[in-house]
Amino acid sequence: MSGFGGVLPWARRTLVERDKILTSEEFSAILGICQIVPGPNIVNLAVCVGSRFAGAKGAFASVMGLTLGPICLVMFLAVLYDHYSYLDSAKGILRGISAVGVGLIASTGFKMLRDEFRYPAMLLVVIITILAICYFHLGLGWVVLIVSPLALFLAWKKAHKA
Amino acid sequence: MSILLSLFLKLSALSLVAFGGVNALLPVLLNLAVNQEHWIDLQTFSDYFAIAQAAPGPNFMTVTLLGWHVYGAIGACVATLAIAWPSSILIFYLQRLLLGIKDPQKKQSIQYAAAALAIGLVLSSAWQIALQINHGVAAYALTLATIAFTLFMRWHPLYFIVLGAVLGLFGFI
Repeated sequence: MSGFGGVLPWARRTLVERDKILTSEEFSAILGICQIVPGPNIVNLAVCVGSRFAGAKGAFASVMGLTLGPICLVMFLAVLYDHYSYLDSAKGILRGISAVGVGLIASTGFKMLRDEFRYPAMLLVVIITILAICYFHLGLGWVVLIVSPLALFLAWKKAHKA
Repeated sequence: MSILLSLFLKLSALSLVAFGGVNALLPVLLNLAVNQEHWIDLQTFSDYFAIAQAAPGPNFMTVTLLGWHVYGAIGACVATLAIAWPSSILIFYLQRLLLGIKDPQKKQSIQYAAAALAIGLVLSSAWQIALQINHGVAAYALTLATIAFTLFMRWHPLYFIVLGAVLGLFGFI
């Protein structure tokens, strides 16, 4: 619930630094996996950490613990929205926030992109993905199917070069 | 009832292509909810996006809000469940397999490939969402400024959200 700007940094602080449930290396390894697999990253993380301690039940419990709070909060905000969205000031505030929100999403992309310049051939994967989506308007499933063989091939070469 | 079922099925199908998380999925979600199914209008979708960005919590909250709009509290739960269950089951079975890969190069290859794919998806998503919800030069300028400042300074994202809200409140955006 206290996850302003994403829950991941907070999850790390709680699990690794405060409760010492996982070591820093274990957390990074698990996070790496969660980012490979599609789906909401934080839910994936909850499944991994939960199932590590109590199997399927643990996974279920930690996903519930992680999602119920935000669902309640969001419904509260939605009720506020229904009452006040007609106000010009509310509309303005939301327009401002969504412009910033788009920028924040783009910025996570660009931050990850910086790491790719160490092996520029990988940029080809990024460029093809963007073209396939923004220019050719292919569905996400198709894009993933078409791009992943090239991505795996280049990643294989990148891993063997280092 | 059938709208709940359709919400559940369509969002479940999206779960397994959400490389790069829910943020990479937003344009597809927008297209599905606004243009194909007419669950919601574009303005409300943009507003929900803004609320989800500003509120503390995970970024699947846009999906939860969409569910709320379609079918109240039940819709919110169904939508959240739908976006999460297929990928949760996938990772439940995959994690042992992936953590068990001993060859570090093999492991790195998979990670590099997924990262490159996720970058492409996230950047495309930001571009397409910007085209849909930014109206006017000021909004694009604010988006660009946010990108520039977050890339070169380590400010907390919340400052930018507050700045955006204040600029919007005074009618600049």
